Amino acid sequence: MHHAYAKWQPIIGLEIHIQLKTRTKLFSRSPNRFGDEPNTNIDVINTGQPGALPVLNREAVEKAVLFGCAIKAKIAPFSRFDRKSYFYPDSPRNFQITQFDSPIIIGGVIVADVAGETREFGVHHAHLEDDAGMLKHFSGFAGVDYNRAGVPLLEVVSEPCMFSAKDATAYAMAVKTIAQYLDISDCNMEEGSFRIDTNVSVRPLGESTFRNKVEVKNMNSFTNMEMAIESEIARQVHAYQINPREDPKKIIKSETVRLDLEKKETVPMRFKEAAADYRYFPEPDLPPLILSQKFIDNIRQDMPELPHERFKRYVNELKLTEYNASILINEKELSDYFEEALRHCKNAASLCNWITVEFVGRLKESGIPLYRSEILAKQVASLVNFIEEKKITGRIAKQVADIMVRVQGKDPETIIRENPDFQPIHDTSAIEPFVDQALIENVQSLKDFKAGKDKAFNYLVGQVMKLSKGKASPDIVKELLMQKMQA
Amino acid sequence: MYRKTAFALRDAFVAGKCTASQIAAYFLQRIQAFDRDLNAFLSVVADRVMERAEELDIRRAQGKPIGKLAGIPIAIKDNIHIKGEITTCASRFLSNYKAPFNATVIKLIEAEDGLIIGKTNLDEFAMGSSTENSAFQVTKNPWDLTRSPGGSSGGSAAVVGGRLAPLALGSDTGGSIRQPAAFTGTVGFKPTYGRVSRFGLVAFGSSLDQIGPFANSVRDIAMIMEVIGTYCKYDSTSLDIAPENYSDHLSAPLRGKRVGVPWKCLEDVLKGSEYDLFHQGLQVFKELGAHIIDVDLNKISYSIPMYYILSTAEASTNLARFDGVRYGKRSEDAHVIDEVYDLSRKEGFGKEVQRRIMLGTFVLSSGYQDAYYKKAQKVRTMLIREFREAFAKCDIVAIPTTPGSAFTINSIPDPLHMYFQDLYTVCANLAGLPAISLPICLDTDNLPHGIQLLGPQLADGRVLHFAHQFEKARGAHELVPPLCDREVS
Repeated sequence: MHHAYAKWQPIIGLEIHIQLKTRTKLFSRSPNRFGDEPNTNIDVINTGQPGALPVLNREAVEKAVLFGCAIKAKIAPFSRFDRKSYFYPDSPRNFQITQFDSPIIIGGVIVADVAGETREFGVHHAHLEDDAGMLKHFSGFAGVDYNRAGVPLLEVVSEPCMFSAKDATAYAMAVKTIAQYLDISDCNMEEGSFRIDTNVSVRPLGESTFRNKVEVKNMNSFTNMEMAIESEIARQVHAYQINPREDPKKIIKSETVRLDLEKKETVPMRFKEAAADYRYFPEPDLPPLILSQKFIDNIRQDMPELPHERFKRYVNELKLTEYNASILINEKELSDYFEEALRHCKNAASLCNWITVEFVGRLKESGIPLYRSEILAKQVASLVNFIEEKKITGRIAKQVADIMVRVQGKDPETIIRENPDFQPIHDTSAIEPFVDQALIENVQSLKDFKAGKDKAFNYLVGQVMKLSKGKASPDIVKELLMQKMQA
Repeated sequence: MYRKTAFALRDAFVAGKCTASQIAAYFLQRIQAFDRDLNAFLSVVADRVMERAEELDIRRAQGKPIGKLAGIPIAIKDNIHIKGEITTCASRFLSNYKAPFNATVIKLIEAEDGLIIGKTNLDEFAMGSSTENSAFQVTKNPWDLTRSPGGSSGGSAAVVGGRLAPLALGSDTGGSIRQPAAFTGTVGFKPTYGRVSRFGLVAFGSSLDQIGPFANSVRDIAMIMEVIGTYCKYDSTSLDIAPENYSDHLSAPLRGKRVGVPWKCLEDVLKGSEYDLFHQGLQVFKELGAHIIDVDLNKISYSIPMYYILSTAEASTNLARFDGVRYGKRSEDAHVIDEVYDLSRKEGFGKEVQRRIMLGTFVLSSGYQDAYYKKAQKVRTMLIREFREAFAKCDIVAIPTTPGSAFTINSIPDPLHMYFQDLYTVCANLAGLPAISLPICLDTDNLPHGIQLLGPQLADGRVLHFAHQFEKARGAHELVPPLCDREVS
């Protein structure tokens, strides 16, 4: 934390809109699909035709309940939909159907890792609502694409329980990972299937009431989000500091700002929304949503392994470091790739290293993530097994890996078989000359070893390996060296 | 032929005594002859009905199965969608709005070979009790052309009253079927909320709206209810219960049954000849061997304020979609989006619609919602409880349909005064109950009067049973307005 803020406490709450991955929209049978031609996935319901009526999508309810179970929330046996009225062209009925009074998910906890510390963040509630369409501006006129109108959203509202930009990012990343593990959303921030609004306020340490909060929008990446929150905290603290005598309510007003990507700071929204009266009232076209315990239990039974559970398993059972475990779990597809490889290979730590460091590193430039490349998890596992079984040395393995990245899909076994240089030397008589040469060239090391310096032994092993161009079996090298040096 | 009930018409068609084309042509002729005076239709789908009638005749000739409504011309209130036809809701806003889909009731009627003959006039978006709020024309009462047929389903009532079609559909949010039925001497039925699908009905007050039929006999009501009263998966408030056979249960005697009358809330308002006429109606039940008992339904006195808070609240959001962006009226003077909203709605909506949108917006707004909307919801719950207690003591509740008979057109300029037309009818909508209006008799001005019967939720069959017995004993349904009581050639 910056020194200047030491006496200030930022308070952050997040509203995250998760687009649920359902076959059809929340209240109609139009496909829920991103990227299609404008106004093709529409019908009488999501264009707000008179006489059309909403019918709730069961799949969306199931996915919301699954999320609720995953965060150990209370699933409301009785929830309700409300109309939220406002006029805007992207809203086909000029009211949104949301859950204002009685949300489907109450409470819950998000477990997240903040700088190596496991923290629990409270969720206030999560509710279902339908998404709006999108305005498209052309020269001289604007159009509306209603493909997105009616797409189911799960809005997850946190408690005001975060105290730094890092907290907020960790929380948001954890929510995203959970949604991905549950497979309820694509969570693609660029396509807008995972959208974050942040409420930020600051107060002097020790003050018990909240000051006015500012809503921060336009954050389509975690990096931007962290930048925006930090900038907003700085702005507010500065404003209070330079006006110590004025009423805090007049210094920071409840308003909406956005991140200016060029200035890298928050600026007021150009069009400030007037104090809106949404006139919420129960949606008369939808009966209350009543969920039986059996319905909820059935969904709970299908709960996949959650990120923090997988994290624990990696650390406790597979003995991965916490750092490595978190690298894997934070990217579900990478973790699933690791899981697949793990079915063919026993050495989890080595496998993790090969996946997260060697292969991810080699693929970095191409921009294609490992799990979407042609390299099969099974092949990476096989490579690690070759090392484990001492059929190749680590040095050769790296060369094999180079080829696996270059000629994707090619089996490591074939690569090794086709190249004589990759076949390790197990023949003692072939290795012996290298050992002898190393000992002649490094007399001092031999002396050191005899004087009790164990390090010298490893150095000599390295020298032999170098002379054999990495092909000599390290075990045999060690054995021969030991024999000769103790002789 | 015009004196025949729908039931009798279908019999004649099935028996081969006449063709569907003859029936359709016959009623088209009556429309041509009388609708100049009545202004009941907003559009007549002559080509469509003749085409369907001819198809039906071919099917009958081939010996193929024939539907339950075969050969019966049916008029549709113009807030119900017929795919490809204009649905105006009697509003300038929708004067060119072509319905993109069929209402469920239309699908059901056509699947049973009913012959849809045209769209009928209404108060704009069904908001009114006189059909004077139509943006296009004022419908006249066939009993007296200087008088209103009531509203908002005044067009459908005038059509059935004038025998321009034996059946019609209306919608009833606060009495919009029953009050015009009473004014035109027809039978009008509002089913239990959720019995008939609202899919394809342009919404006014979603928690109150219900489609229902007009006819000249209860048997005809039963017949069409058996077709349209089915579960619909496109309406989430549709009741998922099996359709009932109403016709088979019409004839049981009423001996020993209990008819409840909420005397306490009637005595202050029901006076003079209205009181006498209502008594005449109750006398019929007595003669049938039923007992008249007193029930408490005091919350009915709050039903007008309750109704005008809840229905306008819902309407203010239901009508928000009419914004000039996607369909309907878009003001030619609008240059920016706020003007599109403001001017299109100002030019597209009539005064009463604007008044109700403003009222509904007000009662929902923050700071006022507790005093109005939420309080009205609480009283609504109390009313529902009161009805439940009343139905523990009686089988059916009888009250007048309207405070008086058909009034002269333009005689009620004060909107609040007009709202009191709904005094006896809105309680059935607020409580979701089935309710029917039946003609009792003509008064000294030669105008029909109605009696209203209400049953518990889902007891649609019971309401039709009591109504049928009443009608059989009374015989008032055979009254035909003199103006239309002749053949045209």
